[in-house]
Amino acid sequence: MQSAASQRLQTFDQAFVDSVIAERTGRPGALLGILQKVQEHQPAQYLPTEVLEYIAAKTATPLSRIYGVVTFYALFSLAPQGKNSVCICRGTACHTRGSRDLLEQAMMRLGLQQDQDGETESLSVTTPDGLTTLRTVACFGQCALAPVVEVNHTIFGHMNERSLQKALETLDLGGPLS
Amino acid sequence: MSSQITVRIDGVLCTATEGETIFEVAEANGKHIPSLCHMEGVSSAGSCRLCLVEVAGIDRLLPACTTPAQRGMAVTTTSDRLSSHRRLALELMFVERNHICAVCVSNGHCELQALAQSLGVTHVRYPYNSPRLSVDVSHPRFVLDHNRCILCSRCVRVCDEIEGAHVWDIGGRGIGSRVVADLDRPWGESQACTACGKCVQVCPTGALVEKGYAVEEMTRSKAAIARLAVKKGATP
Ligand code: SF4
Ligand code: SF4
Ligand code: FES
Ligand code: FES
Repeated sequence: MQSAASQRLQTFDQAFVDSVIAERTGRPGALLGILQKVQEHQPAQYLPTEVLEYIAAKTATPLSRIYGVVTFYALFSLAPQGKNSVCICRGTACHTRGSRDLLEQAMMRLGLQQDQDGETESLSVTTPDGLTTLRTVACFGQCALAPVVEVNHTIFGHMNERSLQKALETLDLGGPLS
Repeated sequence: MSSQITVRIDGVLCTATEGETIFEVAEANGKHIPSLCHMEGVSSAGSCRLCLVEVAGIDRLLPACTTPAQRGMAVTTTSDRLSSHRRLALELMFVERNHICAVCVSNGHCELQALAQSLGVTHVRYPYNSPRLSVDVSHPRFVLDHNRCILCSRCVRVCDEIEGAHVWDIGGRGIGSRVVADLDRPWGESQACTACGKCVQVCPTGALVEKGYAVEEMTRSKAAIARLAVKKGATP
């Protein structure tokens, strides 16, 4: 039992998680802060099941509450994320200024497939090579610049197909985008 | 510390203890306010919006189950405006999932159905979402059918506050919200579940049911939960 437990802990940096928990326990909103710090520290910027189970046990938090928090906030990811991030705003202002077309274009350029059930509320997909994660948000709070797209943490406003194309070319894919 | 106050409910003067919600004062004075997510014995969530009431001097409608009664408040619990809001809230619940009463174990004993009938919801004015949802039959004794869940969170609260197991929570957000067990695992695999059945007893619809019941057979007992809550409060 002991060895099985320590075996499972190999998928994350237990000492780091312990220190984050120790530093934040008792503070208001501790869980959010812990999850955020731990995700940032994970190589592929996501929260594997093992780490969630570990945090739950260590902080005496119910598993379902952790799951609720992680799936409520768009910032958390349950699947490994690519080193490039592309985020397309699907809020009202951006929608009326054509963000659906931009999303379709980005999906096509990255070789991603639209979900069969049509458009879901929020999308987060990673390319099969694991290099790029494409997400949507419900508003960047920059509606005056609509449509808004974020590429590797830079915000671009007034996007059109050409400027999106340009921005996508800056992605680090270890070669030109075919 | 807690002082007596007077509030007016539908024109009638009622005495209340400071800190009581409008809902509690109304019930204590024989006034029935429609509700779905509220349940005696557990905390209030204020999520279903069925209990909306008008308060004189305030433009927007307030949920009776989470609004404390205040000295001199004048509350209206029935009006055309309130009925139309309550009907709308119910219609949106029907639209969101797949409520096919004729084949439901809770047909005839369903709080959602009963409210729709009493508020005169004879049809739904919006297109149905008809989502494709799963049914979790992994638990040896119980079933969770997402098609009939209205996300009232009674199961979440009773399992946390009365049983102390906190198996359930609401995962996701917006239209994608679902009741989840643990890290969205099959219910039958939950280590935390004690199989006490409290969540099944409090579910207002046919979403949480006991196995082995056919259409119209599933009846429940919420009263036991209120009694347990009292006992739990009494023993430190
Ligand atoms: S059966 Fe009891 S312990 Fe299990 S989920 Fe329901 S309320 Fe919680
Ligand atoms: S399963 Fe039942 S009790 Fe739980 S949130 Fe859904 S409708 Fe409410
Ligand atoms: S809707 Fe896109 S930034 Fe607000
Ligand atoms: S009973 Fe008050 S909001 Fe549901």
